[in-house]
Amino acid sequence: MRLLPRSLSGRLLATAAVTILIALALAAAAIGQVLERFVMSGLDDRLDAQIAIVARAVGPDGTLDAAKAVDLPPFDQPGSGWAWEVIGPAKTLRSASLRGADLPLPRDDGPPPPRERVRERPHPLEGTDASGLRIHYRIMRLPTLRGDALVLAAGPRAIVDRPIRAAMLPLLLSVLLLGGFLALALVVQLRIGLRPLAKLRDRVAEVRAGRVRHITVEEPTELLPLVAELNALIDANEAAVSRARGHVANLAHGLKTPLATLKLDLAEGDGRLRDQVERMERQIRHHLGRARAAEPGAAAARVALAPHLNDLIAAMARIHADRDITPLVDLAPALEVQCDGQDLDEMLGNLLDNAWRHTRTQVRITTRSADRMVRIEIADDGPGMTPAQIAEITRGHRLDERGEGHGFGLAISRELAELHGGSLELGVSAAGGLAVVLSLPGGVA
Amino acid sequence: MRVLLVEDDAALAESIARALRAESFAVDVADNGEDGGHLGSTEAYDVAVLDLGLPRRDGLSVLAEWRAGGRTLPVLILTARDAWSDKVLGFKAGADDYLVKPFRVEELVMRLRALVRRAAGHAASVIQCGPLSFEAQTGQFQLDGMPLKLTAFEWRVLSCLMLRKDAVVERLDLLERVYEGDADVDSNSLEVIIGRLRRKIGASLIETVRGLGYRLTAGPA
Repeated sequence: MRLLPRSLSGRLLATAAVTILIALALAAAAIGQVLERFVMSGLDDRLDAQIAIVARAVGPDGTLDAAKAVDLPPFDQPGSGWAWEVIGPAKTLRSASLRGADLPLPRDDGPPPPRERVRERPHPLEGTDASGLRIHYRIMRLPTLRGDALVLAAGPRAIVDRPIRAAMLPLLLSVLLLGGFLALALVVQLRIGLRPLAKLRDRVAEVRAGRVRHITVEEPTELLPLVAELNALIDANEAAVSRARGHVANLAHGLKTPLATLKLDLAEGDGRLRDQVERMERQIRHHLGRARAAEPGAAAARVALAPHLNDLIAAMARIHADRDITPLVDLAPALEVQCDGQDLDEMLGNLLDNAWRHTRTQVRITTRSADRMVRIEIADDGPGMTPAQIAEITRGHRLDERGEGHGFGLAISRELAELHGGSLELGVSAAGGLAVVLSLPGGVA
Repeated sequence: MRVLLVEDDAALAESIARALRAESFAVDVADNGEDGGHLGSTEAYDVAVLDLGLPRRDGLSVLAEWRAGGRTLPVLILTARDAWSDKVLGFKAGADDYLVKPFRVEELVMRLRALVRRAAGHAASVIQCGPLSFEAQTGQFQLDGMPLKLTAFEWRVLSCLMLRKDAVVERLDLLERVYEGDADVDSNSLEVIIGRLRRKIGASLIETVRGLGYRLTAGPA
């Protein structure tokens, strides 16, 4: 069996409840003890006063002077439960309440008190009388020339027990009330104390959703080391991703330069070898493209769409400088997409490049947002594609095995769009060419 | 036409240079960013082919420095970095074209010719001067519709004059665009080439402007 509950609040509740119960029980016991001692000392004072009086009857030679043993009330009343007795070496004196009977001596249950402590100072003892009532004794030994004289005084124990019993109920009630208040305070404390954890969870979720890059929490101070560790982890993660991308880029460079040399040297030669080199090139491009794509689910920040589009459109104008293509750009203001910037460039770059390659006079670029998705439409007035070709692409086939046509860029862009929770649709543009619609999660900034 | 090729891979640089020379280009090769940057800043080139991952100095910073220093020569970035983000960075740094490795050499030659032609201010790919026409895309000259056979030196001189037809091209400028950086230049050899060209296309097309240089023109100036 598990002793500790699984939840943090369960643990705190359980441990606090146990310690509170123990503390309350100890407090109740201690208060009871103090109360009893307090009441008991009142009884002892009365008995000791009587002992002090009757002790004067004991002479140094062991004789007892009955005239000096005066009864204080209620020691003179028979049946009051109050009594005293002086047992000298030769003679015994008794209180009037005893009516000549012996005071029942306490049963000596425990070890006898050390003689020197009992001597000349009254000492308490407990016992019962003939009718079974509990009696409280005070007892004192007085040394005389003919041996010790024993001075005893007794009172009813009930005189102590009654006020203690009367005080117990209010005492227990207040202890219970205190316990209740402590439990309430505990619950409130837990709710307030654990709230930062829920807040921290929300922050981490925001990082994961890509809305923020780091966790910012100013308090409580106990959480700050954890927050610092989490942020360091996020940074380490980003660094690892960017290092991996760097490795991929290096690999690309490393493979492509010798491949480029091979291709140049084969330029005039064997067509079959050249085909093989081109196949290798396509494989490298495809797999490096995939490897370079940001991890799905990784923290992708929201990036502003317009700068990326405008930069790429400017690049198209340079790359296709000899073609007189008019871009018709209609961008909704302040759109952001939740996507890695490089991947966004990759998708848009491929699609725009395709459009510039195949269009006749113009490319129409329109962006809109609806329903937490940003829709980027790139429409050309080129030859377009047949429904059969569109179906082929949608099934993931590449139309142009040479990697130059619509097919290659579309396939890569579609894979990237899906990695980022978006989609790519193909259709016929108003001008009769191809209309590509790239949808990505995002909206107005 | 003189090309600056900045490429650190010796085998690839040699292959490209060989292919370009076969197309009559004069080619200077630099195998690191520092030398390439220096050559591009001090020598006259019609076009530069620039790798990005270069030893000593990155290609993008070389390009940015050229542009900051007012060098307007067309630059084609030739790199393995095929991401569109990299291309955008290249164009932002001032590149005029971007070609990803591996590439077809025909594509490179075609793009270089187009860059040179556009830099000279010609939008159309065919340049006409009297009976002489220059197909800038293929580098072919025709005289009265017939293909003209030229040596590499002759082609360099004539293409340079053709791209700047009706304007005076200074002697030194011509010399710089005809000879590779490490060539022994005999100042008389330019006159020899001009003489041979005049015999092939007719003496009247190339005009000598005394004390300045030469001008290719179809009509009276």
